[in-house]
Amino acid sequence: MVKGTVKVVNPLGLHARAAAQLVKVAGSFSSTILLHRSDSQLNADAKSILSVLSLAAPVGTVLEIYIEGNDEDEALNRISLLFKNGFGEL
Amino acid sequence: MNKVGGVIVSHGQVATELLAAAEAVVGELSHIVAVSIGWHDDVELAKGEIQRAIEQVSEGSGVLVMTDMFGGTPTNISAMFLKKNEVEIVTGVNLPMVIKLASHNKETTLSELAELVEHQGKQAIYRTSSLLEPQSEK
Repeated sequence: MVKGTVKVVNPLGLHARAAAQLVKVAGSFSSTILLHRSDSQLNADAKSILSVLSLAAPVGTVLEIYIEGNDEDEALNRISLLFKNGFGEL
Repeated sequence: MNKVGGVIVSHGQVATELLAAAEAVVGELSHIVAVSIGWHDDVELAKGEIQRAIEQVSEGSGVLVMTDMFGGTPTNISAMFLKKNEVEIVTGVNLPMVIKLASHNKETTLSELAELVEHQGKQAIYRTSSLLEPQSEK
């Protein structure tokens, strides 16, 4: 299992369109990908858009990512990059 | 197993716009169609439209009809098509329900999916102020 930390940097936060991008990328990996928001103790399955949206994460939110599976390293890289680039909204 | 089809039925253009909004989020949804029933539409006409919509999306694994309001005409007409393992109806459609239906996998049966969509619709309603701290004014 690999663990990473990402920050929501795009002004609109983890809204529907950003979440849809995340789910699409997450869905392209076979690993299980879990997001955890420690300030509210919420968890989300990164492959489910409704689950991701329920994190209600605005700009500035820090999320922990837990990934387990045979493509976990690449998944962590791709997802970290997605957050870092603000889902292309910066 | 084929995907369960979906039909959204509403008063006015609500169904069409809900589908458009869901497609903006998750991409094109070829297995879901919208039926808008005009305020003055004839019941037989509306019934025919719903029937055609159900047939259009049916691929043998059943069709989930989502209507706007329990007790309303769209629901009452749709109820004529209720059939075990073929047509299920869930009322009170909202955007998370459409997205739930859009993102289910092929292994989910019609009755399981109807239950999931009903649960999702209820779970997706929040009084936001009870969850979020108010944004501090800057």
